[in-house]
Amino acid sequence: MNTADVASPRRRPLRREAADNRTTIARRSGALPVLVFVAPFVIAYCVLFLYPTLNMIELSFTDAPLIGAGKWIGWRNYQRLLGDRLFTESVVHTLYFVALTVVPNTALGLIFAMMVVRLKGWLQSIVLACFFLPYILPSSVVTLLWGWMLDFQFGIAQYPISWIVGSRVSVFRDPIWAMPMVAFVTIWWTNGFNVLLFIAGLRNISPELYDAAAVDGAGRWRQFRSITWPLVWPVTVLVLTFQLIIQLKIFDQVYLLTQGGPFNSTYVVVQYIYKQAFTLNKGGYGATVALFLFAMIAVLSVIQLQILRTREAK
Amino acid sequence: MKFIKALAIAAGLCALSVAAEAKTQVVWWDFLSGGDGVRMKAMIQKFNAENPDIEIQPTTLEWGVPFYTKVQTSAAVGQGPDVMTYHLSRLPLGVSTGVLRPYSMDELKAVGLSESDYFPTDWDAAHVDGKLYGVPLDIHSIILYYNKDALKAAGLLGDDGLPKGLDGLDNFNAALKKLTGGKTQYGLSFATAEHGTIWRIFYTMLSQQSGDFLKDNKILDGDNLQKAEKATSAMADWVAKGYAPKLTEYPASIALFTSGKAAFHINGVWEVPTMVDLAKNNKLGFDWGAIQIPTLFDHPATWADSHSFAIPDRKGNPVSKEKVDAVMKVIAWMNKNSIMWASAGHIPAYKPVTETAEYQKMQPNATYSSLAKTAVFDPKSKIAGVASPVYEATANYIQPAVNGQLAPADAVQQMRDELQGDLK
Amino acid sequence: MKIRLSFVDLLISLLTIIVAATWVFPLYWTVVTTLKPEYEVVAPGVHLLPENPTLAGYIFVLDHTIIGQWYVNSLVTAGTVTFLVILLSAGCAYAISQLNFPGRRLLYGIIVASFMVPIPALIVSHFVLMNDFGLINRWGGIILPQLISPIAVMVYKQFFDAIPKEFREAAVVDGAGEFNIFLRIFVPMTWGVTAALAIYTFILTWNNFLWPFLVATSDTSMTVPVGIVQVHEAFGVQYARNLAGAVLAALPVAAAYLIFQRRVTEAVMLSAGIKG
Repeated sequence: MNTADVASPRRRPLRREAADNRTTIARRSGALPVLVFVAPFVIAYCVLFLYPTLNMIELSFTDAPLIGAGKWIGWRNYQRLLGDRLFTESVVHTLYFVALTVVPNTALGLIFAMMVVRLKGWLQSIVLACFFLPYILPSSVVTLLWGWMLDFQFGIAQYPISWIVGSRVSVFRDPIWAMPMVAFVTIWWTNGFNVLLFIAGLRNISPELYDAAAVDGAGRWRQFRSITWPLVWPVTVLVLTFQLIIQLKIFDQVYLLTQGGPFNSTYVVVQYIYKQAFTLNKGGYGATVALFLFAMIAVLSVIQLQILRTREAK
Repeated sequence: MKFIKALAIAAGLCALSVAAEAKTQVVWWDFLSGGDGVRMKAMIQKFNAENPDIEIQPTTLEWGVPFYTKVQTSAAVGQGPDVMTYHLSRLPLGVSTGVLRPYSMDELKAVGLSESDYFPTDWDAAHVDGKLYGVPLDIHSIILYYNKDALKAAGLLGDDGLPKGLDGLDNFNAALKKLTGGKTQYGLSFATAEHGTIWRIFYTMLSQQSGDFLKDNKILDGDNLQKAEKATSAMADWVAKGYAPKLTEYPASIALFTSGKAAFHINGVWEVPTMVDLAKNNKLGFDWGAIQIPTLFDHPATWADSHSFAIPDRKGNPVSKEKVDAVMKVIAWMNKNSIMWASAGHIPAYKPVTETAEYQKMQPNATYSSLAKTAVFDPKSKIAGVASPVYEATANYIQPAVNGQLAPADAVQQMRDELQGDLK
Repeated sequence: MKIRLSFVDLLISLLTIIVAATWVFPLYWTVVTTLKPEYEVVAPGVHLLPENPTLAGYIFVLDHTIIGQWYVNSLVTAGTVTFLVILLSAGCAYAISQLNFPGRRLLYGIIVASFMVPIPALIVSHFVLMNDFGLINRWGGIILPQLISPIAVMVYKQFFDAIPKEFREAAVVDGAGEFNIFLRIFVPMTWGVTAALAIYTFILTWNNFLWPFLVATSDTSMTVPVGIVQVHEAFGVQYARNLAGAVLAALPVAAAYLIFQRRVTEAVMLSAGIKG
């Protein structure tokens, strides 16, 4: 099973076959076919991906507005970044958001997947659809929906909230509730994706293993710990990595639910890029923040991968 | 292939809409919703009906930062409307980012408008560096809405139907105490979760103490800081004592008043049509009125701002002369017909309309129109105005202080420090 | 023992159904709200069914907003992006998989590495670039930055690699050129993958918010998900209408999922690199 294809590109059992395909016609590969197949993608890639990335790096050393040229100012934007309090806060909030979503979303995905896998036939299809349908919705629909559910005056979710807390809460205006609620909405929205992946992982575990364990007298928890958890680990790694990369890039839910408020307590990095570049018209500084996001995602992903790899080796 | 067909159909649809163009089309952006929006839509429809050679195509976007950000990015890429509504308080900021196109006096003269048609303070606020960037439409302010029945029951209503004994912060608080609990849950409702409302009340209170927010490039200098703290504490006090509801959204704060759960309501004049419409349809359940904000401190003063019409400076694609001419006709019509706009509670900026008998009879406008004499505009600076650092600082410091989440002394100090830094 | 196990199983299954129903309840509640008249929406208490069902909310949205125009924008941009992504990715993957040319491995490595690049970080550069092309506020501006899909290339390459070499060798012996081999053999044999990726790409592009939000500077160019939250009509807070707009925005993608459920789940797993 090539579940680790993304995580470690080195394992490619089909490579030899593919190489054989090529050697049989190596002499016939003219330049024209290669160009026609590869050029469109490569051109699009260079123009829409490589060039903007390089441009962004260049922009970060200037004081350019959003549109138009700027003067070269060297490292000044970076120095400013280090002392920028709202920027530091936005990084902290992003990490807080990641802490609130990545592990819970993964854990919940696994739990739901284990529940769904037990069902059969059309019942399973329907239940799976229930979990996955939110993922299909656009972010603005999700936020409108939950804005309504949690409406301070008329929202139906205020009933359970006031039952637990004792009074209604204007969740997106309260600095303590705001970020956890954004995280909750995000988990509701994206959990289906994880459930699907875990179901695939669980299905790959041969049922004979469970039968054998049951015969040996192992209880449910023991079975989970010794069979399910280790064998579904590659999928868990995958989901955690995906989640980390995706949640670090968050913008839509925060912008639409809280606009970074209340009192900037939910401001996140991508939103700060938007604010600097588009609202305050500072293209150069916005590019600097964007580069930082770039670096942050790369570093954190690598760190996470290393941690997960060492756990796997254990 | 399917997609080429889809493209062709879409292109055909576009061509059809373009072909129907025999009149000059004016693309109009505004941020007016609620009672304002309804009135303005009616005015636009009337204009389109009376002027067959010009058609206004309006779009309403979200008030505040979203509106002004869209205006800015559009202008920077040569897109955007032909005319838009713009707060005069934000003109300095707008001009500094190169978003606005100045008017020439000839353009105004061509449609019969001139300086003498406007109030001096308003006219002055419409200029930056001696050039006119916005043609005023109205002056709008905040007022005190009150529930006549509730006040009468508490003995706070005079024989003339106006509230009595509200001047002076202590008297006002005593009145609130009387009105809180019982039939009306709150003495006063205002949008404690909306920074615009909070800024307006804060600035009103500061001005009533003769305080200066920004003077000689200094924010809340000297004893102005204590005055600011006094204003913030007064509002925080109302919430802490339960006279006013905590963390309440704008529509909810109105709903509290209109459902009789709050005896007083502080909000802009633009909610007058909401009250008028509800009363007309017998949905209000009580007699209502509105007066100028009482003098809670040393002397009367009320915050005010002005809606104006501005033309964006679109880079590389300026608004053509033909469109400018059409826009000027629109602006002139709007000004001359601003009696309709007055029914939205506003005070027309166009003096000739305010001098008509019809306007002077209008209620409740006549009751509070005296506020124009002591109205104070936002400081003229590129950090001030709607969707500016000042408004943002209000959201981040004064608003939590009002809701008991930050000490008022700390709030005003942090606000001062942050804004002083922005001024550099 | 067997009886006891099944009882626990039954309990867990019941719990699963309850959890699933609760999870999907917000969707039900939203749709029900859109079918109520406004006074029922704000009435106290919880009413799970509308007492006087009405389509007034939907009619208002259709009459008073330009949602029709937004639909056209969404369909054209999502459709074009889907078409071009499939075309570009399949072509490039075919070359990497089947043809021998210098820099092949480097190219693939770069493509795989770019999976980690956050697109939101490029919004500033993309905006400037689209402005240089004069495509701000136009379909082209919405479409172009969404064309890069490293995952599609990786998925196609995987499947092209898996096609047994006998097919290719036979075609070569018959004297077929590369285009023929691609079109007559590889494309038909991976048709399932293409269908899955196409539907999934369409859904993801339809749902994209940030980029169309930035590029559409006037309301006539907005896509549906952007339009419903950007343009405020002069009716203030009217819940049924706002939610009706949301339902209309979600209808196409929800329908696409429910009809092509199998393909979408297949695409999700493919894009994660999982077979199963």
